[in-house]
Amino acid sequence: MMKSLIINFAYYLDTSSSYQKTKRFFYNLLENSDYKYKKYFDIFMIILIFSSVAILIREVKSHVNDSLLFFNNYVISFIFLIEYILRLWISSSVSKIIISQLEHDVMLSDTFRFSKALKDILFSKLKYIVSVKAIIDLLAIIPFFHQLRLLRIFILFRVFKLFRYAKSIQTFTSIITAKKFEFFTLFIFASIIIFVSSVIIYVMEANNPNSSINTLFEAVYWSIVTISTVGYGDITPVSAEGQVVAMFVIISGIGVFSFTTSLIVTSFTEKLDEIKDLKVIDDIAKIKNFYLVCGYEKVAKEVVQKLSKRNKVIILEEDIQKVEAAKKEGFTALNYDPGSIHSYKKLRININLQVKAILCLSHSDVENVYTALTIRSFNKDIFILSILKNKANRNKLNFAGVNEIFYEKELVGIIAKEFVGQPVAFEAIHALRSNITNIDIEEIIVNDRILQSFSTVGCLENIKYRIVLLGVYESSKKRFLFNPIDSTLLEKGDYLVVIGNTQFLKEFNTHLHTKVSK
Amino acid sequence: MKKSTALIFGYNEYTFEIEKNIKSVYEHIYILKLGSDGEDSFDLSDNWDSLNQKVNIDDCVAFCILEDMAENIFLTISLRDTFKDLTIVALSEDQESADKLKLAGATRVIPSTQTTANVIIDILEKPIATEVLHNILYEKSNLKISQITIEDHTLFDGKYPTDIEWSRDHGIIIMSVYHEDGSSEFIYSSKASHHIVQSGDIFVVVGYDEDIKEFEKLIGTKCEK
Repeated sequence: MMKSLIINFAYYLDTSSSYQKTKRFFYNLLENSDYKYKKYFDIFMIILIFSSVAILIREVKSHVNDSLLFFNNYVISFIFLIEYILRLWISSSVSKIIISQLEHDVMLSDTFRFSKALKDILFSKLKYIVSVKAIIDLLAIIPFFHQLRLLRIFILFRVFKLFRYAKSIQTFTSIITAKKFEFFTLFIFASIIIFVSSVIIYVMEANNPNSSINTLFEAVYWSIVTISTVGYGDITPVSAEGQVVAMFVIISGIGVFSFTTSLIVTSFTEKLDEIKDLKVIDDIAKIKNFYLVCGYEKVAKEVVQKLSKRNKVIILEEDIQKVEAAKKEGFTALNYDPGSIHSYKKLRININLQVKAILCLSHSDVENVYTALTIRSFNKDIFILSILKNKANRNKLNFAGVNEIFYEKELVGIIAKEFVGQPVAFEAIHALRSNITNIDIEEIIVNDRILQSFSTVGCLENIKYRIVLLGVYESSKKRFLFNPIDSTLLEKGDYLVVIGNTQFLKEFNTHLHTKVSK
Repeated sequence: MKKSTALIFGYNEYTFEIEKNIKSVYEHIYILKLGSDGEDSFDLSDNWDSLNQKVNIDDCVAFCILEDMAENIFLTISLRDTFKDLTIVALSEDQESADKLKLAGATRVIPSTQTTANVIIDILEKPIATEVLHNILYEKSNLKISQITIEDHTLFDGKYPTDIEWSRDHGIIIMSVYHEDGSSEFIYSSKASHHIVQSGDIFVVVGYDEDIKEFEKLIGTKCEK
């Protein structure tokens, strides 16, 4: 009876959308660094931590207002307690453990072993409770029992909670952790030196009436102060033997100090690129509507250079030297293989929401086919453009799901024909394309605002604005009307294809969007 | 004057694409490979006697499309040095080699990387305008781009190009004007009109084939299409 109640309740929790939604919300708020509201929560907690420490410092020598003390001892502690409980809640799913155990037992035609499920639940929760971060959280709540004066020092544990909220501290910790073996070796070396020198200095100096080293504790204190190269000078050896030991400790201290410094510097240098990449990945997660360029070679360089004037562009390139070259040009480039699904997962790019189009611009058809297939394997809709280097591979790119294939040699052939056939016309189009004479071609979408004032082509007044209206693209009929007559009706979604001086085009665009009534 | 022979220097994938596209324009097309063997080959030795024997160089256009840019530049210099009036169309990889090819004497340089990049960007940023332009330029629709030389300016009675109702009266759109002195301007390049239609002006027009023919009859000039 009890077991069936528990199973039903577990299934209820697992299938309840409101419960799961609430749990997901708290998970995002506390753990998901991509969640947009997490940073506000983190800032709030950091403020609480600093105000708590500020009150503690103030309290040492001055009287602190009772309401502030109440706030510090109860309100902040209570908030931390709630946070602790929430973290314990989201650390594992009780309902999932029960259901998993049940399904396992059913599969083996066994009766449901609640005790095993309970054991797993306790183990998972205990695992969280004994983690360093959870212990710090718990200690930060202790000042709640402020009557015990000693326990008030636990307020300082609240400072350690900063590890949870400040990403830079987490990065620093991870860098230091990566070198834990080296640090451990250093620690052992320093400990041996301290131990040996403390014992020797104690033996040499303790019985000397002129020496200030009388106890082993003082000897250890002197060793640590000396080896750390701090050297207060409050305790100094007076015997010649003691001074020899001091010289030995000082020299060892220099070694320990330089070793520590070099370890930290090396860790940072080794991790610097990784840290920078992580920062870029975080930044990319916030960008919307960018072009993803896969491969960085000659064509890609030109495309990115021009495209990045008006758009955000991210480059993925497997070759580190090419990545460096792209970075030198001031582009955002990442050393990831564009042909690997893992790269996109690691970069946390939401292709549907963030990417405008994907450009496969590697000079190898094999790589472009591979990249296109990789992207198509998890996204069917994104627009993919690829260059083609060998004509024989066109079908392969088509098969890989590329929307637009661009064959450079074919373009050169067509240009050659235009040039020999109509050199002047060719020059005119070339000038228009490359915008070298400030003349540009633009397409202006007809929206509600334009339609309010301009219902027909005749109303547009393009001649007055020194603009050539080449034609209107009718979206509903998917056809281009060249040189339309004045009475042509405009419809929402149509495109005006116009040519003109860049400045005149701007003025014309403003005219279309600002004229409300005639 | 239109030339009847095309000389393509270089044997690669560009060769076939260029040959495919220009075979309707030229009566004879010669493809010449770099090397010393065979009749259809050339070397970079500055000796063009065999070529001179084979073709009338004054009636030729040369396409220098060697993939090695250093060799392509050397070939261009060599041709220009020998044939002062030869029209040379050269393929360049990037802006740097384009500049060198111009210095070497190429009449026209096709910068392949830049052009590719420009078209890719147009496809992404202005898909409709690009499609319209491509249809006009590569004759995929009835729309054509033509250059029309004005032989008798009196027909336009001292008017400015912008004053003439080209689109309403003749169904064509004027894009730009090339003057006899070699200067050019977009039809609406500035707010004020400076230039009266004169004999020798070349108008670059866009329109349907039949409208262009009608216009051609009107001004009595043969259009180049």
